[in-house]
Amino acid sequence: MAKESVDSGLTWEVRANSRHYHKHKQKKSFLSIRWGRYADNVLRSYKYSPLTFLPLTLFEQFQRVANLYFLLMVVLQCVPAISSIPWYITIIPLLSVLSVRGLKDLASDMARRRSDLKINSRPCDILISQRFSTAQWKDLCVGDVLRICKDQVIPADLLLLSSSEPHSLCYVETADIDGETNLKYRQALSETHNELTSHPSEETLAAFDGVVLCEEPNNRLYTFRGQLLWRGQSFLLDKEHILLRGTVLRNTEFAYGLTIYTGTDTKILRNCGKLRVKKTRTEKVFNKVVLGIVLSVMLAALLLAIGSGVFSSLVMSRTEVLSSLVVNGNPVYTGFLVFWSYIILLSPAMPIALYITFEVIHTVHSKFIGWDLEMFWQQADRPAQARNTSLNEELGQVGYLLSDKTGTLTQNCLLFRQCCVAGEIYGDASVRAEDMKPMDLSWNSFSCGGLYMSAPGLVEKLRGQQCALSRQFVTALSLCHTVMAEWKEDAPVYQAASPDEEALVGAARELGWVFLSRTRDFIVVSELGVTRQYQLLALLDFTSKRRRMSILVREPEGGLKLYCKGADIVILERLQKDCPYQERIERSLELFAQACLRTLCVAVRSVPEASWEQWSKTLAKSAAMTTCDCDTMLERLYDEMERELQLLGVTAIEDRLQEGVPETIDLLQQAGIKVWVLTGDKKETAVNIGYSCKLLDPDTRLLEWQELRQILQSPDPGVSFFKARQTDMWAEDRGTTGSKTAVILTGPELAEFDQRPEWGASFMSLAEQCQAVLCCRVTPGQKADIVTLVRKHTKSVTMSIGDGANDVNMIKTAHVGVGIAGVEGGQAVLSADFALSQFRFLQRLLLVHGRWSYRRISLFLRYFLFKTCGFALVHIWFGCFNGFSAQSLYETWFIAFYTVFYTAAPIMCVAFFEQDVSAESSLMWPKLYNVGQKQELSSPRMLFLSLLYAVYTSLVLFFVPFGVFHDTAFDFQTMAVTVAMAAMFTANIEIVLLTRFWTKFNIAAVCVSVVLFFICTRITHNSRLFERAPSDYYFLGVSDRAFIDPVVWLTALLTAWTAVLPSMTALALNIILSVHDSHKVHSVPHQPVELRSKLIRGTSLRRSSYALSQGAVPGRLITSGTSIRSTVPTVDEIVTASKNPTDSNGQMMDNKTPKLHFKTV
Amino acid sequence: MVKEVKELVNRPDNTAYTQQRLPAWQPMLSAGIVIPGFVSIGLVFIGIGVALFVTSQSIQVLEIDYTGVEQSSPCFKCSDQTGKKCDCVMNFDIDSLFKGPVFFYYGLSNYFQNQRKYSVSIDYNQLTGDLDYFTNPDDACFPFQNDRNKPIVPCGAIANSMFNDTFQLFQLVNGQKKEVPLDGKGIAWWTDYNTKYRNPSVTPLRNAFNGTVKPPSWPQAAYELDTKDTSNNGFINQDFLVWMRTAALPDFRKLYRRITEGDYASGLPAGNYSLQIAYNYPVLSFDGRKKVVFSNVSWMGGKNEFLGIAYLVIGSLCVLMSIVMLIVYAKFKFPEED
Repeated sequence: MAKESVDSGLTWEVRANSRHYHKHKQKKSFLSIRWGRYADNVLRSYKYSPLTFLPLTLFEQFQRVANLYFLLMVVLQCVPAISSIPWYITIIPLLSVLSVRGLKDLASDMARRRSDLKINSRPCDILISQRFSTAQWKDLCVGDVLRICKDQVIPADLLLLSSSEPHSLCYVETADIDGETNLKYRQALSETHNELTSHPSEETLAAFDGVVLCEEPNNRLYTFRGQLLWRGQSFLLDKEHILLRGTVLRNTEFAYGLTIYTGTDTKILRNCGKLRVKKTRTEKVFNKVVLGIVLSVMLAALLLAIGSGVFSSLVMSRTEVLSSLVVNGNPVYTGFLVFWSYIILLSPAMPIALYITFEVIHTVHSKFIGWDLEMFWQQADRPAQARNTSLNEELGQVGYLLSDKTGTLTQNCLLFRQCCVAGEIYGDASVRAEDMKPMDLSWNSFSCGGLYMSAPGLVEKLRGQQCALSRQFVTALSLCHTVMAEWKEDAPVYQAASPDEEALVGAARELGWVFLSRTRDFIVVSELGVTRQYQLLALLDFTSKRRRMSILVREPEGGLKLYCKGADIVILERLQKDCPYQERIERSLELFAQACLRTLCVAVRSVPEASWEQWSKTLAKSAAMTTCDCDTMLERLYDEMERELQLLGVTAIEDRLQEGVPETIDLLQQAGIKVWVLTGDKKETAVNIGYSCKLLDPDTRLLEWQELRQILQSPDPGVSFFKARQTDMWAEDRGTTGSKTAVILTGPELAEFDQRPEWGASFMSLAEQCQAVLCCRVTPGQKADIVTLVRKHTKSVTMSIGDGANDVNMIKTAHVGVGIAGVEGGQAVLSADFALSQFRFLQRLLLVHGRWSYRRISLFLRYFLFKTCGFALVHIWFGCFNGFSAQSLYETWFIAFYTVFYTAAPIMCVAFFEQDVSAESSLMWPKLYNVGQKQELSSPRMLFLSLLYAVYTSLVLFFVPFGVFHDTAFDFQTMAVTVAMAAMFTANIEIVLLTRFWTKFNIAAVCVSVVLFFICTRITHNSRLFERAPSDYYFLGVSDRAFIDPVVWLTALLTAWTAVLPSMTALALNIILSVHDSHKVHSVPHQPVELRSKLIRGTSLRRSSYALSQGAVPGRLITSGTSIRSTVPTVDEIVTASKNPTDSNGQMMDNKTPKLHFKTV
Repeated sequence: MVKEVKELVNRPDNTAYTQQRLPAWQPMLSAGIVIPGFVSIGLVFIGIGVALFVTSQSIQVLEIDYTGVEQSSPCFKCSDQTGKKCDCVMNFDIDSLFKGPVFFYYGLSNYFQNQRKYSVSIDYNQLTGDLDYFTNPDDACFPFQNDRNKPIVPCGAIANSMFNDTFQLFQLVNGQKKEVPLDGKGIAWWTDYNTKYRNPSVTPLRNAFNGTVKPPSWPQAAYELDTKDTSNNGFINQDFLVWMRTAALPDFRKLYRRITEGDYASGLPAGNYSLQIAYNYPVLSFDGRKKVVFSNVSWMGGKNEFLGIAYLVIGSLCVLMSIVMLIVYAKFKFPEED
């Protein structure tokens, strides 16, 4: 047996109710050595413990090359033989960097710990020694039997043993896993159901000793393979028997489950991808530049050290005074020491303060995002949130936006907005649903709102009994569906597998046709207060191939009726000849499609008794067939029945978009961002949404898999793609309207990419030319794979946006992940880098905050490079004139203060406040965003130019004073102060040239920096300090003389001016050459930008579809009766029902058979 | 539906700062500002350059190299000597009045006073007169820290290498030597003399130096630098202070004396002069040069042609650039006319 299971891959063994067996096999770890097999159910997303914090944080921080480098510098500086500047000059900034960073990490880890604790201490009921006792999630162990109550979140992956419902059915909401809010059912094995549902259940459950053999933990959400060995028998298990962690039990009083996977073994956590530390592209480029600087510094130090060795050997032989200074009389050894001295001396060129300043700037930018009132969602009292504070500039460079659909683009709220009955159109979709004046439906006691259609005419017709067509239309809506009704506080609450159906049935309810309940054989409807019971004869279910569903009922009067609803194409071809109003209805279809509404045609057929009898016989026969012909057989049969239809009308449903979605997508596309939609939903729904949110234009050509596959298989995909586009356009004679193409893919098709990795590159190059890409029916893992594909084959920054747990993986995979803080479920937000409340805030996040951040940070990095290198490289040139001895040209205090006091504040102000154009203009001119996408401000070339400029500056900083002080009586210290002054002036003039947005802080910062230089210099040259520590403040009195010496001033000014001359010239030329452009942007009047779509809707294709959840076919359940009792209800249920009698259902009770149940689902 | 008016706790503040709407000045630079700006800055630089150049030209400088490299030089005989006392005389003429006050410098070339090992070889604590450091000089002074287990005071390479040539200037009037009085007071920095360097408060001064030895190259101990004037002796000897203020670059000059007294207060009149040099300091071994420099000063100090020329060059460059910009601007603004 065991061998067999190993062969079949079922190696995961779970024994029910044997805690100790699993407990000692639990995973444990000590000092990162792990053993054991079964994970415990504790969520550990934190990193540090009190003991490990210090070593871990130090380890992490010294993984940053810069920190390690500076640690090395401190160590070197402690060696007296090579210490060219004192050690405290470096250790103070290093310590502050380390501690600030460490504290920040600690704080975020504490927050993670708290949220973990909250999840780990959620209650659950575990069966322990024949009793259910409340425990916490973290106490859960593989093999435990659990009781899950209604609306509880399931704590681990469970095997459903039995439930309170008939046939041990239970319903789960998987919103946190796949984003779908409709319910899915799970059913226990009939064996466990039969054996374990006796009373009291505790005893039988405690005696349950089944052994589950299943596959090892994996991340496949939609499959499960296993078997249950119990009482010598083996039962096959599949995903229908499994309750996944993170799903919520709904509409089921309680369910019993056997824990199979816990904690990190659960499918959802396996799906969660590893937490990656995200680094921005700019930072990566910059890191390379820093590495380049380090290498150059080392090279320079090496050359200087060689120079020093040569110099020493010359001195050795000649100069009496200096020769004694050559260490041990060995020039090579001296050179070796000087090498390290130069490494230290040139280390300020490697900006340590940069990393900490970088973090501060990022934090402030993130705060700005949180503070933005225009991204504040008043309804939920929720501001935008930057959870990861190190990705801000990436927001300004996004090239690909990969968006989830449900909950992100749409509100997942379907509204019945319009209908066309008997050629008459009711409702007006151009009025926004919120602005709708609700109809007076007070006559309808079941009405509970939710109908966003104003059609008094229709109501009148319905109530006036005049129009048979419209009455039939509404009857069709109330009958032809698979919705279940649940009674809550005297009103039916509908549970539908498809939100479309819920909207339709809801609309029928509002109009007076109230679907009350269903049993296997009957449907009870209250028609304008009169309860009627229809006998359900057959339900011709919906499939994506048939694209329609029908229901065959016997009316209370005895007639047979077939009600059918479906996509327009399939219904229209099945109509009887000379159907009234057909033309007008078809025109209304066009109209609805233009308004981006989802349409369904509703039709009816009177079926003669004879043909029904014949048909049902054949049906029974074919249902009995077990071969695979069964399906085709059924289809043919169904087809036979669904003909000669009479068209009743058309429904138009609005899949409500989030506010401002089309405008946002339009704006982002104008900004050059490619928008992709990845959804687990059906293709039809996705395409429909694509149209309504302006992702696709009516004239966009949709490229589907078959065609795409051909193109990809062809030897030259680019050419074939072009050809395909060409021919298509010629065919449609739309050569001028544009070359808009969109690719539509589905999950299974995407799976082919795994086998053909070479397609990736050509697919991406095609996708780049496409207006949009839609991926439907994709799993969370595939979403992440798509992101990886984009990341791999383009250099662009990718951004993922989503709201559900199914988006977590892609959010983590993308460069930048955005979570929509929706109505429920914070999963996406928890793992996102940015949290928004509305999709439309994205435009501000990207085009305003992102653009500004990118610009500010690019300016900051380039300036920082310039100022640190420009000032530090001076020592190379000075080295040529001091015997390559690693003598510093500056006072040590100046080196320490330069980056902190004299140059930090102005660039910080620029990095905080700089705005080249206002927020309004940024949104008005989305093209301005391209600068970031092309990396124009932070490309390696630009950084290299900054470096080059820095080298030039350092040359000027040394050689101009050199010319002045050469062969004069000026001493070294005066020259040091002069060069320092020139360097400080250069840095500050440069920042003045850089700043375009002068707030009071900028002005103050520049002034304060300059003044600080003079104050600090005077202080460190002060006699008091000298008396305290003569060897640290030996520049005593220099500034007293230097600051009143005209030569010093003239030299400093000349040097500074010469140093900034290139940048000044570049600026001037820039102004002269671009005067027109900038004027255009700046002269935009400050007025609120009205975001109106500029797209004109052309002739539209009809879009008729119907959304159905993944995989579930509720029709089968209904007709097979597994979900509904077809027998007399138990006594206590009737009591419950009659406990809440009202007028309406009291009346209903009178004229109905006892088969009616209030509590069905 | 009654909507409860919830208090918006999380609502961000609506301030100019948080909303990034700080009032700001956004300079709208245009060609009309930039080009004239460049021209005017260029002109200002040219103006300064001219002033500097003219000033620099008006300064008289007389340099006399006395290293004695050539055999014809009177100091040739001294140049190969090392350590031994040797005197030589350099004669020179002044054609017209050398306006006073005249500054008398000595200059050294190819002398690396800015070498790091050299320039850190000093003990500031010792030089403030702290007796603890007399017995125990700082490690920085190595290898001039101890001499045969006795501490060197003043320690370090800078002090040890103190320039020890001395000069006397005579005017030859009718074959008679008339000594030009040289003023050695106040040639060092005020802060050096009063704060940075101080003798230990021990009288007589030499007692403070008990148990110490003089720097190996010195002919006499620090307390014997000027035995006549206690305010010029020990660490506050003006020549010592001038030497200790190290030079920035390998070619430098240091102030030796000023000519401010007597008949020469208004300058050196035209005539023949004779400079008597006590040649002690060896420089030829490292290819160095020694010179004496007479110079008068202006508001900008000594003669400095570089600064004026540099200002002129940069100023002209600015003007030139603005012309280029003007051409570019014209081409850009009226492209149709091309």
